[in-house]
Amino acid sequence: MGTTLIVAEIQNGKIREASYELITLANGVGGDVKSLVIGSGVGDAASEFASKGGGETYVADDASLADYSVDAYNAAIRAAVDASGADLVLLSNTPQGWDVAPRVAAGLDAGFVSDCFKVEAAGDGFTFTRRVFNGKLDAQLSSTGGPVVATVQPGACEAAESGAAGSTTPLSVDTSGARTKFVEIKVAESTGVDLTKADIIVSGGRGVGDPEKFPEVIEPLADSLGGAMGASRPVVDAGWLPHPYQVGSSGQVVTPKLYIAAGISGAIQHLVGMKGSNFIIAINKDPDAPIFEVADIGVVADLFDIVPALTDAVKAAKG
Amino acid sequence: MKVMVCLKQVPHQDAKLDIDGSGTWISEDNIKFEINSYDTYALEEALRIKDGAADTDVVVVSIGPDRVTQALRTALGMGADRAIHVNDDSAASSDSLGAAKVIAAIAKEENPDLIFTGFMSDDANFSALPAMVAELVGLSSATGVLSTELSDGNIRVERELEGGALEVVDLPTPALVAVQSGANQVRYASLKGIMQAKKKPVDVKTAADVGVSDLAPKVTIDKIYNPPKADGAEILEGSTDEVVASLVGKIKELGLL
Repeated sequence: MGTTLIVAEIQNGKIREASYELITLANGVGGDVKSLVIGSGVGDAASEFASKGGGETYVADDASLADYSVDAYNAAIRAAVDASGADLVLLSNTPQGWDVAPRVAAGLDAGFVSDCFKVEAAGDGFTFTRRVFNGKLDAQLSSTGGPVVATVQPGACEAAESGAAGSTTPLSVDTSGARTKFVEIKVAESTGVDLTKADIIVSGGRGVGDPEKFPEVIEPLADSLGGAMGASRPVVDAGWLPHPYQVGSSGQVVTPKLYIAAGISGAIQHLVGMKGSNFIIAINKDPDAPIFEVADIGVVADLFDIVPALTDAVKAAKG
Repeated sequence: MKVMVCLKQVPHQDAKLDIDGSGTWISEDNIKFEINSYDTYALEEALRIKDGAADTDVVVVSIGPDRVTQALRTALGMGADRAIHVNDDSAASSDSLGAAKVIAAIAKEENPDLIFTGFMSDDANFSALPAMVAELVGLSSATGVLSTELSDGNIRVERELEGGALEVVDLPTPALVAVQSGANQVRYASLKGIMQAKKKPVDVKTAADVGVSDLAPKVTIDKIYNPPKADGAEILEGSTDEVVASLVGKIKELGLL
């Protein structure tokens, strides 16, 4: 059994939940577990990570690492891979993970798999399971020999809460070659559309087909139920509705009492944003649409047959 | 100014996907293909630079079989100047790192000021090639980019983070920028553009032509399959009236009506 190196990620001064999930995953793979924490003034966070199963934890702690920089973080990860002798490098599939991980793999001339929800040891390599075709199919991939870098979908397994106590080791990193320069983080502007407080959300997707159909078909159902209107990413990307209406990992994460998805196929990034809803009704023409996997009730039909009729029925029921 | 854009041709988003006989990919029979949606935003970003500086040379590059010609013609019709088509099974059947090596070799030959790629492909969803190319060529890079602002020797980008936050980063050029879906409004090819595209050059190459031979994949697909059905939804059957009545009943049961 080889060594797995976990690249933990700092967010708002603390190590993200998703990084603790990587400890659980790495323990499942077997072999030694080592970790890397990158940042400035992150010694305490690294000690805590080491104490919860992170194993020998390298700490790349330098003022030049305070803000994320793809070049500097790549250099830190490469130094930790060298120091640990890892044959499996795990990062979370987050904006930092997906930005730097392929660079690490290419620099090592190593295999790479992104957004896995399962990683297992197999022979002298590993198998990885992930979604493909925007969630419509699953794929199992394998690597043989040589190191491999993988990113893991946040939420793919439980976060480790305790584990064998590890230790921390300072890791010096040469960041002088960093080309990219961090400027600032812009927080999302408040626009008055706060879907997170709605009890009922009716969302439309690409299947709505036309921007004019949102006020004509989707919004009336939302209004009749006293709820709010939402949308999936393709709708917002096409400019049919502004970004505040977007439900998903890059939009709003919502947990209403009732979520109605009309013409939404259910790409992972949308499901992440609404699967915590108390009750989900999905209306879609495609019986194989992934949205039906997370829905409580499904209707395989044209949304233009169902949604207007449902709007009328809701109005009638209200009198 | 030279701008290189990487395009992938993928199955149409509405194509019915059937797993092929090998069980490791989908059957390409009887399905339509299109330019990967993310890559259309990358191309648009490049064409906007050309809109502002007409002497900009926009070269589109794609790896794939004969069918890829159509995607390249579409890109030329939208306004790209020329195309490079790597028509080579060993490149097309390698993994992301193999494809990145071929694109990187072309980038070293072309020596562009900027490389734009889509953030992800709609088929494999790997999101690997852009940053790999940057690493192999030795360029600065940013992925998941929603806006760009080019100035002398620098491109300032806004990367999409979670929950709608943005990270602003300065990259010295030459640089590679992987463009996120929704970054801009993508133009259509005009009739005039499509006519002109017929005269624009498409350079067909093999991996060996650009000096890449090490294309054995480090990661291979064992199988693809339909995701195991979870408990899944209770599917309502019946006429529209019956279905609507059931839905209203359920909403009442939830105490929301």
